Amino acid sequence: MIVDLHNHSIKSDDGRAKVENYCQWISKRGLEVDGFVLTEHRQFDGDSDYRPLEDAHGLRILKGAEVETDYGHVLVFGVNEDLLQAFDFTRLDLPLELVIRESERCGAIAVPCHPGRATVGMCAHYEARGAVDGVRVIETYNGGSRGGENEDAIALAERYGYSGIGGSDAHIVSHIGRCVTRFDREIRDEQDLVDALTDGKFEAISWI
Amino acid sequence: MSARSFDDVSFGDDLEEMKTDVSLDRIKRFTGAAGMTFERFTNHEAARKEGLPGAIVPGIMSQGILAAMIHRWAPGSTIVKIDTVFRAPLLVDSDPVCRGVVTDMNKADRTVEVDLTIVNEANETRVLGTATVRLEG
Amino acid sequence: MDLAALKRDWTGFEFDTAEFEVTEQQMLDFAISCGETEARFTDPSHEDFRAPTTFTAKFSGRRMLPEEFPQLSRRGFDAGKCVEALAPVRAGDRLTGTSTIHDIFEKTGRSGTMIFIVHRMEFRNQSDEVVSIVDWRMVQQP
Repeated sequence: MIVDLHNHSIKSDDGRAKVENYCQWISKRGLEVDGFVLTEHRQFDGDSDYRPLEDAHGLRILKGAEVETDYGHVLVFGVNEDLLQAFDFTRLDLPLELVIRESERCGAIAVPCHPGRATVGMCAHYEARGAVDGVRVIETYNGGSRGGENEDAIALAERYGYSGIGGSDAHIVSHIGRCVTRFDREIRDEQDLVDALTDGKFEAISWI
Repeated sequence: MSARSFDDVSFGDDLEEMKTDVSLDRIKRFTGAAGMTFERFTNHEAARKEGLPGAIVPGIMSQGILAAMIHRWAPGSTIVKIDTVFRAPLLVDSDPVCRGVVTDMNKADRTVEVDLTIVNEANETRVLGTATVRLEG
Repeated sequence: MDLAALKRDWTGFEFDTAEFEVTEQQMLDFAISCGETEARFTDPSHEDFRAPTTFTAKFSGRRMLPEEFPQLSRRGFDAGKCVEALAPVRAGDRLTGTSTIHDIFEKTGRSGTMIFIVHRMEFRNQSDEVVSIVDWRMVQQP
């Protein structure tokens, strides 16, 4: 199953895409994508019900979040009530170590994204301050990366033995499905996604 | 040029890709019209002194270029709203390409939503945005 | 920096009004340098000659921020513009632009922590008709 793990809708301050249009785009362009995750900036959207869209388009639509830490931005999958109480998703300076530890405690998983990006990616922070325990997976293919940033992320993953995921980081409709993750199993819900990411049996793909 | 009707357009349609002139001469004409005096737009050396890789295209000119692409695709159309994000500097004297694609349609008010991007020679997105466009017919 | 207080105290604050004359030459230069080819934008003799949609984005008021607004940084940059076009702008129009602080928010990006200040200018013509609303997302870096 192929899932695009990093996308933003109009729920994010800089997102310009409606979720329905993401679904239409995937169908219209015949993208080889079975589902996608909405990772809104500094928030978890617990309210929206995308099941009618899933049924209409035969896609899996899951929810996560993108939070901001002292080591850059981090995707969190498997967000639940416990995790929402564990730290303030709106903060810009969450300790990465806290996000990783609390995510694991609450049955979620934290995945640093666009690591090669200046300031908001973890590569430069690793150079300056060293590695953080508990990181297992990072985003090695990000659809918004510029020259060399994904290569830096891949090098970091190789150096520390991290698994890599792919996500488009789409903010407009036509950018979904550019970077994705292929899993060896069906991902039916957020728990399946956390389990699969924890098992490490997946592959990052870039179609840019 | 004939007007493009709402009924002639489908979700997913690409606008004709457009190469655009961002030469120093063209930028100077724009900044003159816009009353912009910052040298970072019109002088490569001055821009480098500000830490930029060279003179940069004013954001509002990028936005105007994208609006022009829409009008070329749909003569007679009305851009109701255009929202652009200046993600990274677009360099003067570079060779950018503008792209657009229809990503939503609203039959009730005969408008379409268009995704807009300007990419550089490395195909990196420098400007992105969306526009709501009312089509005739 | 107490962003919540900044947002509470300044969002919606109207701080400037400025007047702008629209000339045929400004409209032509703006249109042609952006690559417009339609006669309604490039030919003053066209019966519907008008300014390109984003023309009003070129106008700035006398102040970028209110006089008493705290100085957050010495340098900022233009992160984006949203133009809503409500009526045509014609040569000879006299526009009045009214500036307000529309929104304030914070995030991190490639260049570090960024405070976004959304400066909204509403433009009315000589008939008091709202012709355009421009939201200018200015980034300040503390």
